[in-house]
Amino acid sequence: MKKLFTIALLFVFATGIAWAQNEKYTQAMGDGIKALLAIDRSKPDPKTLVDIANRFERIAAAEPKEWLPKYYAAYSNVLLGFVAPTLAEKDQYLDKANALLKDAEGIAGKPNDEIEVLKAYQSQIHLAADPMNRWQADGEKFQGFLQSAKSINAENPRIYYLEGSSLFFTPEEYGGGKKVAKPMLEKAQQKFSAFKPETAIHPDWGKMETEWMLSQTN
Amino acid sequence: MKLFYCLLLFVTPAVFAQKSIQGKVTDQKGNALPGANVFLKGTYDGGTTDANGVFAFQTSESDTATLAASYVGFEVFEKKVNLKESISAMTIKLEELANELNTVVITAGAFEASDEKRMAMLKPLDIVTTAGAAADITGAMQFLPGAQRVGEQEGLFVRGGSGQETKVVIDGMIVQNPFFSSLPDVQSRGRFNPFMFKGTSFSTGGYSAQYGQALSSVLLLNTTDKISNNGLGISLNLANAGLNYDYSNKNQSVSAVVYYGNLRPLFRLVKQNVEWIHAPEFKGSSLTYRWKPTKNGVLKVYGMYSDSHLSMNSKDPSSDTGKMRLVLKNNNAFTTSTYTDSWAEGRWTLNSGLSYSRNKDNMTWDGVNFDRFDERTQARIVLTRLLTGNNTILLGAEAHAINIGNGVDGTLYKLKDRYAAAFVESEIYITRALAGRIGVRSEYSSVISRANVAPRLSFALKTGRYSQVSLAAGQFYQNPDYRYLYLNKSLKYERADHLILNYQIIKNQRTFRVETFYKNYAQLVREFTGQQYDADPYRFPWGTTNNGGDGYARGFDFFWRDQKSIKNLEYWVTYSYVDSKRLFQQYEQSATPTFISNHNISLITKKWFEKAKTNLSATYAFTSGRPYYNPNNDEFLKDRTPAVHNVSIQASKLQSIKGNLVIFYATVDNILNTRNVFTYRYTPDGQTRYAVGPQSYRSFFVGMQIMLSKKAKVEKDDF
Repeated sequence: MKKLFTIALLFVFATGIAWAQNEKYTQAMGDGIKALLAIDRSKPDPKTLVDIANRFERIAAAEPKEWLPKYYAAYSNVLLGFVAPTLAEKDQYLDKANALLKDAEGIAGKPNDEIEVLKAYQSQIHLAADPMNRWQADGEKFQGFLQSAKSINAENPRIYYLEGSSLFFTPEEYGGGKKVAKPMLEKAQQKFSAFKPETAIHPDWGKMETEWMLSQTN
Repeated sequence: MKLFYCLLLFVTPAVFAQKSIQGKVTDQKGNALPGANVFLKGTYDGGTTDANGVFAFQTSESDTATLAASYVGFEVFEKKVNLKESISAMTIKLEELANELNTVVITAGAFEASDEKRMAMLKPLDIVTTAGAAADITGAMQFLPGAQRVGEQEGLFVRGGSGQETKVVIDGMIVQNPFFSSLPDVQSRGRFNPFMFKGTSFSTGGYSAQYGQALSSVLLLNTTDKISNNGLGISLNLANAGLNYDYSNKNQSVSAVVYYGNLRPLFRLVKQNVEWIHAPEFKGSSLTYRWKPTKNGVLKVYGMYSDSHLSMNSKDPSSDTGKMRLVLKNNNAFTTSTYTDSWAEGRWTLNSGLSYSRNKDNMTWDGVNFDRFDERTQARIVLTRLLTGNNTILLGAEAHAINIGNGVDGTLYKLKDRYAAAFVESEIYITRALAGRIGVRSEYSSVISRANVAPRLSFALKTGRYSQVSLAAGQFYQNPDYRYLYLNKSLKYERADHLILNYQIIKNQRTFRVETFYKNYAQLVREFTGQQYDADPYRFPWGTTNNGGDGYARGFDFFWRDQKSIKNLEYWVTYSYVDSKRLFQQYEQSATPTFISNHNISLITKKWFEKAKTNLSATYAFTSGRPYYNPNNDEFLKDRTPAVHNVSIQASKLQSIKGNLVIFYATVDNILNTRNVFTYRYTPDGQTRYAVGPQSYRSFFVGMQIMLSKKAKVEKDDF
């Protein structure tokens, strides 16, 4: 009886540890995401972003079976690729984002629309770093990744947000502009309202930006 | 119950025993690295270094753990630490990873235009936005260091080399007829559209063992793997009208082009120095198919066909009227298919290709038939193996079957050459700052029944974060001009030895590059006619020939490009100096050949006007006088033509019309209407001198390109 009790206790304890570990992970991820959301979108501070990227990387190193820490580390590096001052630095962060995305893809194991969307976002920021020379190759990649995201999950609102934002920032002379972007952004907004992330720590960005852009189209 | 307490004991210390870890992260030289990630492996505990490279964090781990530090561009640092006590003032030195800034690149003799490589001096776009280049690839290359401009002939004249000493190579395959058929004293354009290519590498010497049959230079063109616009495009200008259609899906794409051109409208507007009887009229089409059968594999099939018809009265000092009536009809076809793939995470790369080209010129000179025919079938395979530490070794082979025919008034002269080559080349990084490339190429040509072995060698040493020195040397062989081989098949290969020293610094969007060279020519073909020198460039070499010629070329060139100092404006300056003498062809003594100009200067500026969506470019080109043959001068080739000056401008404007992108462009060449002279020719009695100049002096050209794209998403640089 005593033995049984010990075993039972041990069992409870073990699951307790496992549960605690899981909670610690969710907690740490949640904190990181909160920190990301707290960043001033109009003037993101690169130092804070580096700190956040490092945080996710640490979680990723400790949780080799989770793709989300790699995903968020990549996302932070893409944002850094946007705010870094020089082309060389931008490219360093964007290359890093690419490597992290590759890892995330390996961990996820199966085609994942969020990873495809982030790859598209990476291409878009990579293009923006040197549009003169990159629009052709990166424009192609951007479309390709969005296409494959669509084929996995056409309900992902970030697909339409990225398409809309790409049109939004393309000058009218080249077939873009706020007017052209509006229907796509409206579609994104619609998809966002129907979207529910799988868990609290799954990707859920882009809604705020969509709404801001929409407010500019009127 | 004991066990329970044991477990409790095991877990609880973690809750209260916090240790602090503190230190600094630097590079090998002790410079602080801000933003580095320092953490205990397998835990969430860690921190980011501040502006001084300092980190500090708390951990509840109490045993030994692995401390890791990572930083973009550096190797990950790991160290076992004991966490019984707090750690303070720990110094972590990180080792930099190999990257484009700290790893040397072999650059001597190479001038690249690429989107992918950061060391590239030019971007593909520069070719089409340079005024004076007429959106022609070789036109743009003429402004690069090492090139000499020769206005009345096509081809690239590099560092004392003739136009025939440069080979044009598309995706590894030699292009038999890169230019439209040669005309007397008219510079023909290249046949290929610059938008076809994603990268261009112009070698001014010392090039890789992968290429041969060029004494001076190779121009390597790499076609794009993908297209980005689906839909129909229309191009319309003073000379031609064309349609292009692109379609792509995930793994395949097709591009089709058809065009018709007629220069009559342009010649009505721009005064011609050439007497045209039938202005050039041409039509053509091309089809490109690309397929990605595997993750890394790309198959490309390209086919083009064009024909042209023209007639002119060319200046001929030796005829009674001073003119000769030329009628030319040309048919040209070129197909090439290449397959590239890589395996084992890029450790093995395959490049292979198969190509066929056929060219036919039906010519009559004052009613006498002169026909030219040539065809070339070639196959090529190159296998590259990536070894550890970025070292590579490549092995390759190529085989060509070349048939050439010349018909002179019904008599047909034929020549058959079966040419094969094998090569091996290795790139070795001794350190990140010192690299070498060693290669050897061996060739066999059946027409002269001879083989050769040509070693190639280059080294590069990094002298600073942004600067490097490189050195290249090698031997280069080329078959003698086929016209000599009709009469003498015992000739040997002509040979050139190159030695090149290069210094370059690329920093903050400014580039400075200086290169000096010495070139030795040996075994050049000499012709003995027993008569006075005949300056007619179109004469058939009928004299006896041997390989007794030689020569040299030496000089230096420099290049400065600034994209930074003024916003939206960039400029580049090129200066090339060459001193060269040769004993070859009909020369009885060593002299500077007629295609040599000692000084070539070009100044190119480009400015982008954001509001007007207009790109404006201006080019000034200076070419010093060239030798010409004066039968009245006892000294051979001592006379010099006046220098050539040319100022040209180009503007392109983007406009959206009903959702379609339209690009308007206009160019003015020789805006100052300078009466340039390229060379002089004499009547046989030596009494009258003719000046040979450009086809027209001041000239202009306007046109537009309309893109009826389904996805009308084109950025500002689609021209």
